[in-house]
Amino acid sequence: MIKITDLEKFYRTEEVETIALNKLSMEVKEGEFVAVMGPSGCGKSTLLNILGMLDDADAGSFVFNGIEVSKFNERKRADIRKHNIGFVFQSFNLIDELTVYENVELPLIYTGVKASERKEKVEKVLDKMQIMHRRNHYPQQLSGGQQQRVAVARAVVNNPKLILADEPTGNLDSSNGNEVMELLTDLNEQGTTIIMVTHSEHDARFSHRIIRMLDGQTVTENILV
Amino acid sequence: MLRNYFKTAFRTLVRHLNYTIINVAGLTVGIAVCMMIFVIIQYQTSFDTYHANRSRVYRVLTEHRSSDAANIPFSKDVPFPLPNALKTSFPQIEKVTPIFASNNDQILVTDENGKTLQQFIEPKGVFFTEPSFFELFDFPLLAGTYTSLQEPNNVLLSKATAEKYFGDWHLALNKTIKIQVGGYVFEHGTEVLKVSGILENPPANTDFQFKALVAYGTGFTGSLMNKSIDWNDRTNQGFSCFVRLPEQTAASGINKELATYAAKVQSADNKDVYQLQALADVHYDTQAGNFSNTAISKQLINVLWVIAAFILLIACVNFINLSTAQAVNRAKEVGVRKVLGSNKSRLQIQFIVETFLVVLFAVILAIILTVLTLPYINQLLNLSLSLQIVDRVQTLLFLLAITISVTVLAGFYAALVLSRFNPIEALKSRFKVNSGKGLSLRRGLVVFQFIIAQALIIGTLVIVKQMNFFMNAPLGFQKEAVVNIPFRVDSLRISRLDYLRGKLMSIKGVEGVSFSSNTPVEDGADNWTSFRFNNATKESDYKVITKFTDDQYLSTYHLQLVAGRNLKPSGYTQEFVVNESFVRSLGIKNPEDVLRKKVSIWNGLINCEVVGVVKDFNNRSFRDQVAPLVMTTNNTMYNQAGIQLTATNIPATLAAVKALFSETIPDFVFEYKFLDEKVDGFYRSEMQLAQLYQLFAIIAIFLSCLGLYGLASFMAAQRVKEVGIRKVLGASTGNIIYLFTKEFILLIGIAFAIATPLAWYYMHQWLQDYAYRIEIVWWLPLIGGIGALVIALLTISFQAVKAAVAKPVKSLRTE
Ligand SMILES: Nc1ncnc2c1ncn2[C@@H]1O[C@H](COP(=O)(O)OP(=O)(O)OP(=O)(O)O)[C@@H](O)[C@H]1O
Ligand SMILES: [Mg+2]
Repeated sequence: MIKITDLEKFYRTEEVETIALNKLSMEVKEGEFVAVMGPSGCGKSTLLNILGMLDDADAGSFVFNGIEVSKFNERKRADIRKHNIGFVFQSFNLIDELTVYENVELPLIYTGVKASERKEKVEKVLDKMQIMHRRNHYPQQLSGGQQQRVAVARAVVNNPKLILADEPTGNLDSSNGNEVMELLTDLNEQGTTIIMVTHSEHDARFSHRIIRMLDGQTVTENILV
Repeated sequence: MLRNYFKTAFRTLVRHLNYTIINVAGLTVGIAVCMMIFVIIQYQTSFDTYHANRSRVYRVLTEHRSSDAANIPFSKDVPFPLPNALKTSFPQIEKVTPIFASNNDQILVTDENGKTLQQFIEPKGVFFTEPSFFELFDFPLLAGTYTSLQEPNNVLLSKATAEKYFGDWHLALNKTIKIQVGGYVFEHGTEVLKVSGILENPPANTDFQFKALVAYGTGFTGSLMNKSIDWNDRTNQGFSCFVRLPEQTAASGINKELATYAAKVQSADNKDVYQLQALADVHYDTQAGNFSNTAISKQLINVLWVIAAFILLIACVNFINLSTAQAVNRAKEVGVRKVLGSNKSRLQIQFIVETFLVVLFAVILAIILTVLTLPYINQLLNLSLSLQIVDRVQTLLFLLAITISVTVLAGFYAALVLSRFNPIEALKSRFKVNSGKGLSLRRGLVVFQFIIAQALIIGTLVIVKQMNFFMNAPLGFQKEAVVNIPFRVDSLRISRLDYLRGKLMSIKGVEGVSFSSNTPVEDGADNWTSFRFNNATKESDYKVITKFTDDQYLSTYHLQLVAGRNLKPSGYTQEFVVNESFVRSLGIKNPEDVLRKKVSIWNGLINCEVVGVVKDFNNRSFRDQVAPLVMTTNNTMYNQAGIQLTATNIPATLAAVKALFSETIPDFVFEYKFLDEKVDGFYRSEMQLAQLYQLFAIIAIFLSCLGLYGLASFMAAQRVKEVGIRKVLGASTGNIIYLFTKEFILLIGIAFAIATPLAWYYMHQWLQDYAYRIEIVWWLPLIGGIGALVIALLTISFQAVKAAVAKPVKSLRTE
């Protein structure tokens, strides 16, 4: 599903140039659950952003579903993104002004799903995440775990083929964290490919494979399954 | 302590420089507009207030009761016998001063032998009056004596006029000039005048913009006006009378006596009465007018005040909106201060001090802006405003009032909002720009701004459309490529008219020539008369316009006959052509029916048959309906040539015409005016109003958009993260722009819904003043609304697009 080769990413500030990704290559097959680990600043989030087409690489190739996307412009990438990829962030990134229901509905609106269909889909996913009873609450009125479940619901409501999760349990206590990990495992079992950045060995063990990074490069891989 | 407040305030303002600039710019423009209006109003209300006797000076107005065809119930003109009657029969009136204001006078400056050295034409500013003029009004004398005006043929010149005629005013004293008074009413010759004094130039804020004051009693003013006992004489244009009452004498008593007196001296069918009007009201009487066409209605002054207040309010609204929005950003700072023990009032003072600094700065910039734009305003409004005229103390007080009221208006609310923040919440920075009451107030204020802006835009559109109508609507006669050349009637000239016509017609480019007393359309400069139709026993109770025209009038101005025939060439009055309105006013349907009927005008002085009827053309400005009209020949009444030119090479033709006139008529100042320009001139005040509205509309929309820009940029800053999230979830650039603009579209829509009926109502009322007017079609307000919306959206879009095209990762990183 994903094949990247010699991917490079630099950040230039006035004084220094940081190499965030240094000729990084990796492959993720459809249906896999991959954990990415490594020390702070090694380029995990950068990698995830590029995989999610939120950012573009400076060099190297990125093939998504057999299509070379690294030269795509913003609009084309946005198009692939909204139909194929769901995101879960450490800080949930829910919109405070919208209710739970509205937050989850948003990706459907942007992909042009009809209103009647939207209602059905949103309710189904809220049910699945067991937050149906909170549908009219605002994010601030929920606990961290609940918020992250809303975020996961939002990420999966469009039935994406790929979910990118950047430290999804980073802001949660262990029981809430486990709940989210179980959600992700369920999704994976139903066929969704998942790439997850994490600092937690515990969480990483939910995955099939752990990619370890250092200074913008992959160093080792542990196959768990 | 206070120093500390100022230091902190200054730092804050510098740190949020963008918002500070928007705030200062908005307030500067708002305050400058206010100041400008203040200066204009101060100027307008200062007219003739500097005369020591001002409270005892009155103008005599004629209230026309016998007629309403002219639609002017009050006029400043009085019958010739009135001043003398007041002097002899009203001993309780201290001073009576007749003033005859002539116009288009020719002045000849001669050498000792009477040879003409220089010629001037004075369109206005020559007054015939008595020395008592100076016991009513204060105009300082530089040389000579006031009393010299007692003697006929003496003249006092203003300093500027003396310099114009003689180079140096010191040389002017005791010199002689010749005057040929303009107009057509009197058969009069040239008067020789001796300069018996020099007056200081009249200040800009007097309605007596004199160039020369000639002794009343000179020439026809002595032989005709001063001797007249005819109260019915209708030929009194420009003849006014002012009086001075003793202290503690009420005008109302005299008005009553005047009514009784008028009834006694006037013939039974003349019901006109006379009333005293206080000098303080003269400048605001747009109906009766004044000698310099500077009257301004109290209503217009009020409109100006209202606009000033609105513009200032819009500017304050910007300030409030931005400050409260910013307040959210500063919530954290406030939180820290509160936690550190700063109390509510300290915070409020801090904020007020900040506001004060901004306002102070804006006031200073506004003064500079006002000074810089004053010449432009002068040009626009045809005024001579200067900061010298302005009362310094009043202006300072005004500025102080503005500073304080804006500081309070703009600063107080924001100060309240800011200090109310709960410190814990503030520290958590949980505030969102669109939460709670702040937003609904902010929304309300934006709506308010756009109501004003859109109402002004709609008003402007209506005025501009009506102006276009004035300029372009067909009048029923030819006004393009027609020039009018005024000349003065005397026997020599009359004898040469036919020769002149022949010569003119032989000039290449001249298509037609007509001599007449008036052009087809006049704005108040017509002769009106009541009449008897078909030997009726009673005079008509309305008046008709009399135009003296030669037989070429119809062809030169392209007028159409609907019945009968044109006038036959003649130097005398022998037959009438009337217009359709005349026929209709008699209740007659078929124009043929008035042919060969007798009409007598001017108290039976002229009594002839009707030979033709012309199709109605607009013989008055579009303010009024077409008036009944009679036209007849009489070469002693002609005072102008109307020349129809071919549209090509007009300058060359005019040069030839000028050469011909100078050669044919000696001592002649050649002047010409294109008829279409003259017609446009009727609507000068509307034109000024239109420009004023345009200016205010532009300022209002500019200020409103400045506020929107500030709000949008603030919103963009606030919602960076939200935009990022939405983009990650698949929002397109269009989605994001819509997110930013939908609220404003709604607000502007609401404003539109309120502004349209308001503007419609007000402009509908305004249009009622015009007999001929446009309809306010439905799409006119719509254009205004859409225009405002487009401008506003462009303003917001700048920020919205910036936010929308930013890469989502960037915005998400801010966490
Ligand atoms: N926008 C940016 N501008 C400059 N440098 C950046 C930017 N984003 C990331 N970097 C740098 O690139 C490197 C990789 O950053 P990245 O966020 O990918 O690290 P990470 O592995 O996700 O770290 P953490 O575990 O702390 O989240 C770091 O050195 C970081 O400082
Ligand atoms: Mg990271």
